[in-house]
Amino acid sequence: MEITRRQRMAVALAKEVEDGKTYIIGTGLPLIGGSLAKNTHAPDARLIFETGILEGNPLEVPTSVSDLRLNRQASVLWPQFRYFGYQTLAAQRGEIEAGFLGGAQIDPYGNLNSTCIGDYFHPQTRFSGSGGANGIATYCDTVIVMKHEKRRFVEKVDYCTRPGWIDGPGGRAKRGLDESKGPRAVITELGVLRFGEDKRMYLAEVFPGVSVQDVLDNTGFDLDVSRAVTAADPDPETIRILTEVVDPLHVMV
Amino acid sequence: MNTQNKLMTAAEAIGRFVHDGDCVAFGGFSTNRRAYGLVREVIRQKKKDLTVESGSAGGDIDMLIGAGCVKVMNISYIANSGFTMVCRRFREAVETGALPVEDYSLDVQTIAYHGAALGLPYVPVKNMLGSDLETLWGISEEERKKYPKLPAKKFVVAEDPFEPGSRLCLVPTPKIDAALVHVQKASPDGTCRIEGARFQDEDIAIAAKHTVISCEELVSDEEMHADPNANTLPGLCVDAVVHLPWGAHPSQCFGYYDYDPAAMIAYDKASRTQDAFDAWLAESLCQDHAAYLKQIGEERLSGLKIDPAAGYVPGLKRK
Repeated sequence: MEITRRQRMAVALAKEVEDGKTYIIGTGLPLIGGSLAKNTHAPDARLIFETGILEGNPLEVPTSVSDLRLNRQASVLWPQFRYFGYQTLAAQRGEIEAGFLGGAQIDPYGNLNSTCIGDYFHPQTRFSGSGGANGIATYCDTVIVMKHEKRRFVEKVDYCTRPGWIDGPGGRAKRGLDESKGPRAVITELGVLRFGEDKRMYLAEVFPGVSVQDVLDNTGFDLDVSRAVTAADPDPETIRILTEVVDPLHVMV
Repeated sequence: MNTQNKLMTAAEAIGRFVHDGDCVAFGGFSTNRRAYGLVREVIRQKKKDLTVESGSAGGDIDMLIGAGCVKVMNISYIANSGFTMVCRRFREAVETGALPVEDYSLDVQTIAYHGAALGLPYVPVKNMLGSDLETLWGISEEERKKYPKLPAKKFVVAEDPFEPGSRLCLVPTPKIDAALVHVQKASPDGTCRIEGARFQDEDIAIAAKHTVISCEELVSDEEMHADPNANTLPGLCVDAVVHLPWGAHPSQCFGYYDYDPAAMIAYDKASRTQDAFDAWLAESLCQDHAAYLKQIGEERLSGLKIDPAAGYVPGLKRK
């Protein structure tokens, strides 16, 4: 059976999860990636959610981080202020490996927009806003999930909801943020992008069947593609676990 | 036991404790334990000019916006997650400039509500620094003069007095007039118990001048006081208790029911235009909660009752 792009994205997300480490997860593909990791190479990865539901192990895919489905086998259901206190402290102690985020627009430095398209004061399209993502981007390394389109990969985001590397080396420190934390990877339906020494995004991997030119055609800023390799096909067992165990109802993949 | 009976109807509770122009905070999270029953009563009573505080809002707040009850809003998120990714009456109101909003992040709102519940005037955080949440204010200092329930400034950025050179965002805590929260159990003296995730609900209830509780089950004061360890709020923080079984419908209620996908999908459609919303509201608001439940129908509701072992409805059709 053909491996779909979304399945490849889920596998790429799962690869960002290391066993025994803690990750802040949102719903959608990040949760699928996290669950896949726990069901394969990272059974002891800890997944935490901004609703204060810690270490939930859903059997059915939740539609929201507040979904009752997420409560299964959770360690605690904390009031949210406890969760955010813990998130801030644990991130500063280096005990949170990364947070997974999505957005509508991203720039070469990984600054993300989930607030609006167009002028903030007269938006052409208004989105739901930051949610908890601003705090995650303030304190933690992040892995970002995006649709790969020219209008989304832009030179400058219309509104910076979640700070990335700001404008390059030293950018975060200048704004009062921890310089050692920031965006790590961007996963799209075309491949995986990472950030270099200059804190700019570069193309690290393309998925099989995707050309480097496809990526360039769908990116609205100069992108270094000199390091791009073609990602290996996931093994059949991983795809079986993804489609039969993690998301058997095919809600997400 | 020295009890005080706070039991009343939704009409009486909203009539007494929610006033035009108030700052009102709402419990729950997106599609979980939102106080829909009380919100519908706010709409029935045509409350207006509300300043809305809601950490992670859902369709209930979108209904208030569509019904013309909201003057201004502090926001970090508004969606029926999984059904409507950005609530549509909200979206149109902001895109047309009809609704002024101030953006925060959920972490900041949560910390600010907790600060309000601690009696603090503001909370110092690093969150929002470096983003446009810091640099762009949805509502300017000048405009804020029109909204007496909003703080005079979104925040103040200052140097940490204990760590020179380190920047902090000093975020004023909200002055909440009324909090509306749906809980699982409450008793006439106002003692209540939230089961499952509690979100920001204790904090807004403690911070608010008046708190209106709706409950799935009304139990005796004796029963609640027999197990104080399981209780969330004392009656001291509660002004009204309204017995509203299915009061969070169409959102979820831990231990009782799942969300109602048919209602969520119907709302997604109905909220696409103001005309469709108005027609939908006229049909679905009903004269009171009992009439609302009768319209939904027992059969549909019983299909939403959770499987106690799973904690939700396994295999629920969600599309």
